[in-house]
Amino acid sequence: MTIWLIVGLALLTYASRALALVFLPKPSPPVEAMLRRVPGPLFAGFAAISLVTSSGAATPPATLAAVLAALLVARTRSLLIILSAGLAGYSAAEVIGALF
Amino acid sequence: MVLGATSPFAAAIGVFGMIYGAGASAVADPATIVLSSLVVFSGAVQFAAVGLLLTGAGPLAVLLTAAMLNSRNLLLGAALRSSLEEPRRKRAFLAWWLVDETAGLTLASPAPPGRTLLFSGAFCYAAWVIGTAFGVLGASLASLEELVAAVFPVLFVGLAAQSTRTRDAGLRVAAAAVVSLLLAFAVPEIRSVIPAIAAVAVAMPGEKG
Repeated sequence: MTIWLIVGLALLTYASRALALVFLPKPSPPVEAMLRRVPGPLFAGFAAISLVTSSGAATPPATLAAVLAALLVARTRSLLIILSAGLAGYSAAEVIGALF
Repeated sequence: MVLGATSPFAAAIGVFGMIYGAGASAVADPATIVLSSLVVFSGAVQFAAVGLLLTGAGPLAVLLTAAMLNSRNLLLGAALRSSLEEPRRKRAFLAWWLVDETAGLTLASPAPPGRTLLFSGAFCYAAWVIGTAFGVLGASLASLEELVAAVFPVLFVGLAAQSTRTRDAGLRVAAAAVVSLLLAFAVPEIRSVIPAIAAVAVAMPGEKG
């Protein structure tokens, strides 16, 4: 990894971050309404792809258990409760995996 | 409040920073590795770069991959744009802190978006750089990698839940999750841009009534 490659990666990455945030004018009302609907599905997508490895295989069962446990308490909308449930689900799956 | 919500993300990012710092030692010297985290600040791009370099790929392939990985930032930026009232110069500064996690926290938080992006970004950035430095110095938390990898989807479930207030929004969230999962299994090569594609696809249809 050379300095020039790092500079190239840094420029590309910053440009992608700044392009919409800096140069995009305030969107029109219909576009703004559409963009307001993006975050939830986007985060759900990030969560979903985390269950698949870069080679297309499923992640370990404990990760799936963590996500399922988090989904069970998702209606609370509390990040702390959801994280705690996820870790509990992960731990439970690890213990069960070790027992069998 | 922002720091509290950012803490689990920052902790996970710090651990991944360590793993990156240790793994990148095969393709760069310690100073270069830390420099990469200081000026790039993107786990996805930096991990991909190291992976490609290890397979013998050239700089052009690395840059093209980075461009593809970064394309989701356009959508994150567009989603954040309408909530930021700051002038252009300040938005240019705030753009530096835009990563998946900070965009999520900013969009889900009731706090002023500019401040949330800045504070959560600075926290995650510090965790990433410090984690990298520890990894370069030989610290190893590889045994925690699986646990930490499970934290990210759980936190994104939390952010999705916080962004979902209506039945219509819930249906869109569920649809995006299913579409993303299916696409990730079908075409894992483009998995980093799949959430953006799915999110736009399910957000396009207007709400009924």
